[in-house]
Amino acid sequence: MIVRLVVAAAVAAVTVALALAWRRREGRFAEGSGRFDAVDLGLTKRDRPGALLVEFFGEDCAPCVTVQDRIHKISDEVPDVRIVSIDAGARMDIADKHEVRRVPTLFVLDEDLRVRWRASGVPSEDAIRTALMGPDWAGRPHPGAVSREHVSR
Amino acid sequence: MSEKRMVDKNGMRGGAGISAVLLLAGFVFQWEWMVPVIAVALAIGSLFGLRYSPLGAAYRSLKRTFKLNIPVEPEEEPPPRFAQTLGFVVGGLASLLFIPGWNAAGWTLALLVAGLQGLLATTGLCVGCEIYLYTQRLRAHGAELR
Repeated sequence: MIVRLVVAAAVAAVTVALALAWRRREGRFAEGSGRFDAVDLGLTKRDRPGALLVEFFGEDCAPCVTVQDRIHKISDEVPDVRIVSIDAGARMDIADKHEVRRVPTLFVLDEDLRVRWRASGVPSEDAIRTALMGPDWAGRPHPGAVSREHVSR
Repeated sequence: MSEKRMVDKNGMRGGAGISAVLLLAGFVFQWEWMVPVIAVALAIGSLFGLRYSPLGAAYRSLKRTFKLNIPVEPEEEPPPRFAQTLGFVVGGLASLLFIPGWNAAGWTLALLVAGLQGLLATTGLCVGCEIYLYTQRLRAHGAELR
C-alpha cells in the first residue's frame, strides 16, 4: 500500500512538474529568427509599418480571442503598429514556414519584416508591450521600454 | 453548409481531472475494475460524441452541485474526441493486460493515461489533440504533394 501511494504521488508530482514547466513557457516571448514575406502578409512595398504583430489563430479558439483583444488594445496605444491575423488552418503553408505548431502564436516583426520575438499561448499585455517597444530593435525609444533580457527570461 | 460540433474545453479538463483522480485511487486501492470503467467512459465519448461522455456529465454535475463559476470555452470537437479515442485504446489495452494477470504492465499504461489526463486538467495541454493536429498537418502536406 505504501509503495503504491508513493508511486501514485510520484505520478502526480511528475504531472504537476510538467504542468508548472508548461505554465512557465506558456505565453512567454522568445527571440525569433527568419523573415516574413510581404506577400504572405498582404503588404505592398510602400506599405511598411514600424512594427508588425502577426497573429496565427484558429477557428473557435478561445485563447486566440484573448490575444486578439490584447493586441488590438495595444495597437491603439502604440503608434505605427499593424496587426496581421492569419488563420493557421486555412494558411498551413505560412504556418509551416514559420514553424507554428499551435494557436495562438504571436510574432513581433520589425519594419524589415524580420522576426524579433515569438510567443505561443497567451502572453500578458505587458509582455506584448515590452516585445514591441524594446529599445534595441524598434528604433523608437519609449519611456516604458526595457531590455531584451526582461522579455526572454 | 455543415455545422461544426463544439465542446466545452473546460468540461474536457474537468472530465480529465476526474478520470485522473479515479485512476490514481484505483491504483492505490488496487481496484483493477476502475481501468475498464474509465476506458468505457472514454469509449462512449469517442464513439458517440463528447456531449455523451460520462466524465463530462460528472463534471457538469459537480459544477452544478458546487455552483462553480467556470466559464464555457467552446472549441472544435474532433481533436479532443481523437484524444478520447487514444485514451480509450490505451485504457482498453491496460484492461486487457489485467486478464492474464500482467498487472504491473496494466497499471503502467493506466498511470500513463492518468498522467496525461492530469496534465490536461491542470494545464489545458491535450497531448492527444496535439497528435491529431499534427496528423492533420501531415495529411494536408500529403495532399499538397500528390
